[in-house]
Amino acid sequence: MRFRKWITIIFLLSIFAFLVPAMASDHGVAATHDTEPGSTQGEHAVAATGHGDVPAGSESPVQGDKGHGGGHGAGHINLGEVLPLWSCIPFACMLLSIALFPLLAPKFWHHHFGKVSAFWAACISIPFLIVFKGAALYQIVHIILADYVPFIILLWALFTVSGGIMLKGTLRGTPVINTIMILIGTVLASWMGTTGAAMLMIRPFLKANNYRKNRTFMVVFFIFLVANIGGSLTPLGDPPLFLGFLHGVSFFWTMKILPHMLVTSGILLVIYFILDSYHYKKEGFSSAPVEEGEKEPLKLVGTHNFIFLGGVIGAVLMSGIVDWGQINTFGIHRAAQDWVRDGLLIVMGILSLLTTSKKIHEDNDFSWFPIIEVAYLFIGIFITMVPCLLILKAGLKGELSFLIAAVKEPFHYFWVTGALSGFLDNAPTYLTFFNTALGAFYPGMSEAQAVPLLMTETSIYLKAIAAGAVFFGSFSYIGNAPNFMVRSIAEEAGTPMPSFFGYILKFSLIYLLPTFVIVTLIFF
Amino acid sequence: MKIKKILFPTKFRELSFNSLESLMELKAIGLKEVVLTYVIPRDEVAFVPFGGYMKDEEERLREQARIRFEDWQESISKHGIDSTIRIQVGNPIPKIMSIAEEEKVDMIVAGRKKRTALDKVYVGSHTLDLVRRSKIPVLISKYMVRFEWEGELITRVNDHIFTKPLLATDWSEPSEKALKLVSSFKGLADKVMVTHIIGVKISKNLDKSELKRIERESKERLGNYCDKLKNAGVKAESHLFSGRSSEEIIRVAREHKATMIIMGTTGKDRIRQLWLGSVSHRVAEASELPVLLVP
Repeated sequence: MRFRKWITIIFLLSIFAFLVPAMASDHGVAATHDTEPGSTQGEHAVAATGHGDVPAGSESPVQGDKGHGGGHGAGHINLGEVLPLWSCIPFACMLLSIALFPLLAPKFWHHHFGKVSAFWAACISIPFLIVFKGAALYQIVHIILADYVPFIILLWALFTVSGGIMLKGTLRGTPVINTIMILIGTVLASWMGTTGAAMLMIRPFLKANNYRKNRTFMVVFFIFLVANIGGSLTPLGDPPLFLGFLHGVSFFWTMKILPHMLVTSGILLVIYFILDSYHYKKEGFSSAPVEEGEKEPLKLVGTHNFIFLGGVIGAVLMSGIVDWGQINTFGIHRAAQDWVRDGLLIVMGILSLLTTSKKIHEDNDFSWFPIIEVAYLFIGIFITMVPCLLILKAGLKGELSFLIAAVKEPFHYFWVTGALSGFLDNAPTYLTFFNTALGAFYPGMSEAQAVPLLMTETSIYLKAIAAGAVFFGSFSYIGNAPNFMVRSIAEEAGTPMPSFFGYILKFSLIYLLPTFVIVTLIFF
Repeated sequence: MKIKKILFPTKFRELSFNSLESLMELKAIGLKEVVLTYVIPRDEVAFVPFGGYMKDEEERLREQARIRFEDWQESISKHGIDSTIRIQVGNPIPKIMSIAEEEKVDMIVAGRKKRTALDKVYVGSHTLDLVRRSKIPVLISKYMVRFEWEGELITRVNDHIFTKPLLATDWSEPSEKALKLVSSFKGLADKVMVTHIIGVKISKNLDKSELKRIERESKERLGNYCDKLKNAGVKAESHLFSGRSSEEIIRVAREHKATMIIMGTTGKDRIRQLWLGSVSHRVAEASELPVLLVP
């Protein structure tokens, strides 16, 4: 009961805190009718490239023409310049909910995470819509159609297709075999997605080492490499990179992070091998003990799903290469090839489901629950993120100008993106700093113009953001979605996993932090 | 084909224990052991969003189930039947099937689904999935049901379910297996009603003489069935009808006051099932009586 009272108070306060300054600035803005300089350029840029969307932060011509918005001037305002800093509170609260509820109230969270997500989304969207009407609606619909929908479709497709592939057979883990398995998973991660590669490899990895006493560190390094760092080379690998792709970063651009990824994974694999060898010897093994019962040869089943995986890769690649014009959906201009890509991804997933036997899914302990969780939580993240992104895109004219001014050097971007990614899920953090960089270097410019420049003349910053978001996703259980999935599977299989703080103190600070310092010194 | 060991998976819904108790009369035909099973759905304890695995919750659910099962075991032992407990985490249907295989049970007892006001079926998709995939007989137990019959809402308690079973046959191999199973009911069933429905698809386009021939042959085969049952010491009578198979079976069962329906599964593969359905599944879904399906 008390809990509900607090929720109601917070909700009402957020409306009040949002409405008052917004109405005050609304009166100020109504006096001017200057068109947002970026928006005109953005429309031309979209027409020219056919890639990317009408830039967020600028108004769609439809909205402007109809005179929607919080007043007759709202059709021309740059929302990012008028939104108060407090409008970011629901976003912060959404991410803090993800960070804290699993620790403090796991049972409540497990059964009500969807409601919590809906609550924070409502906290921002309702007042946002009341004040800015059409302009706000445009922003919300835009982020859903242009970011959330393709994001969740890709995750679902990769999750479904990977769930139909299973590694069977008897395998006994030794330091060499374990290192090879982690290496294979790391390589696969950029093509199957970190979730797909982690789900494919974790059960065979655990089974191969079920005779070992100390297995905790194995799973932690698995999380580091397969569930995070391995996914840094393509937009398929990790959600932040796919979001970057959706906003105009070209498919193969992320290959520029290969040197960073090789150094990081090289260091961690060597450390892993040393640790595993040490524990292997300490446990008294000189070779892998023979497993009791019949030895089953190693076999990959459901391999036809690699065809569908190829289809997923092809569909994403296609959408980055071709230009089939724009389609207007609810006032949002999306590239036609993006719709085709999303349709193809759905087809790949459905084909995988229809052609993969139920037995493989059952032996894989396949469940829809993890992807359902991601779907519910990320709709809340995306909606609550809207004001924060708009403010960042406004650059020095927005309320987050202090952040933009403070984050200057590439290594700042690497560490600040990283620090937040480690604790607040890396996808929204990437997008936040992606927009910070756009706001810092190309304020008011449309994405279609700014992102190519970010990929070229200021590419070191984008590399820092991408590497920071992906690498630091391994820093805690909440840095990336597959982390908690791997943890859950490991704990169910009887492998003791460290607590949230134990993971950070005993593993992340000791192994990841020095590695990232080395990466900073070499590359940033 | 005897029933010596049965698997009783439960979610501890209302009347679960009553349902179990009603099966104790199987002791009369050789039941020796009951495997009490509770499968904790994995999604209840695993994959906490950005969390991990709720080991405490798993332990709590296990302990709760164990305490209840131990109470049930005391009651079962009073009937002179042994019992074992299996509590596992996983996906319920595959787990039930793997436990059934490990324990080498002769029959699986599935519960009915919780029917809401809008539902017209007693069996959910998970149970149908179990029926479709199981290689051993599945008894869909419906201890207490409410159904509509000639405009009246009736509540029925299915307790002595083996007293007057209706064996519905379509002459298939599963039907033959069902007959073998019913043959072991000596001392349990008062009388078995053996019935065959000449389906609408068969009778629609036939001339009178052809229909008469089919009727004659069906009666002969039904007679053979009854003879086999009588030789096994089980009283039997035959009934031949024509019409829509699943509806007729349910109607016959009601009119002749059957206590349960036994039939071979007439299931098809996943895709044909989607389009064509199955008589045995439709009977299992729609009948207010417990249905024993033999694959």
